[in-house]
Amino acid sequence: MFKDLDPLLHSQLRLAVMSILISIEEADFVFIREKTGSTAGNLSVQIDKLSEAGYISVVKSFRGKMPRTSCRIMPAGISAFEKYVDALGGYLRPK
Amino acid sequence: MENLLSEKESLDLIGQMISTAKNNLQKGIGKIFLLWGYLVAIISLLTFILLITLPPETKYYAYYLWFLIFAAYPVHFILVKNKEKEKMVTTYIEKVMNWVWIAFSISILVVVAGLLLAMVLVMPAFTDVRPGHEFDRWFQWLFITPLMLCLYGFALFVSGKAYAFKPLSTGGVICWIATFIILISIHHIHVLAIQQIVLTISAVAGFVIPGHLLNYKENHHV
Repeated sequence: MFKDLDPLLHSQLRLAVMSILISIEEADFVFIREKTGSTAGNLSVQIDKLSEAGYISVVKSFRGKMPRTSCRIMPAGISAFEKYVDALGGYLRPK
Repeated sequence: MENLLSEKESLDLIGQMISTAKNNLQKGIGKIFLLWGYLVAIISLLTFILLITLPPETKYYAYYLWFLIFAAYPVHFILVKNKEKEKMVTTYIEKVMNWVWIAFSISILVVVAGLLLAMVLVMPAFTDVRPGHEFDRWFQWLFITPLMLCLYGFALFVSGKAYAFKPLSTGGVICWIATFIILISIHHIHVLAIQQIVLTISAVAGFVIPGHLLNYKENHHV
């Protein structure tokens, strides 16, 4: 049924992550977890999937002594997101 | 968790996530505005008082008060560091605005460095300042206040429009009006004192009031 929809994006949490990242420059892992209301474990699995596909880049660093993970969207992610939204529009338009 | 979504749910989710990320206001900016605002307001007010009370041959030394401005830098960098520590997200607007303020600082640096060099190197080499003509030695500083205020008005106005925060853009307009007043009074006998008191008012309107309003906004999440 959803054959045109990118399976990587057509999942609640991954789509939420991509929607956050498409509108901003860079976001902290904690920020994404709070905004999506997900668990850290699940979020990190989904972020890894997006990162392996080259949709987002994940940078791990230290802020003082606290480890910090920040994510930003990549060009491949932007075009995948645009295609996904476009395909969604196709389903919603009256035929 | 691999919830499958309907098309409608997908679109709702996208819209919802985009708007939560967008409304995230940077914390800690208010304090930076207050630091510079109060310092500039106090220094310009004291300079104004000294300019109108000191005898003509020494009054220009009132400008040395402006070296106090360097005291703000260490505090400024501590405040910026704390702001970065708390920051969870960088929006595109913030990125652009950071560059606008960096460009503003560079512009100020160029103006100050140029005028300082003119005074320290070029002026003693080419001009002979006679006693009673101290104004010749200091007149170049006439340009620093309107230049800084005009640039500051520019940065403030753009910030206000970018963050959709009216006190900032209004502050920018006040700085431009202040620049205009300073420029039309440039031939007035009390031009230096006029500049300083106009600067005090601009610092209050352009830094202090927006700073307090930003703090209020941060603390009350409006």
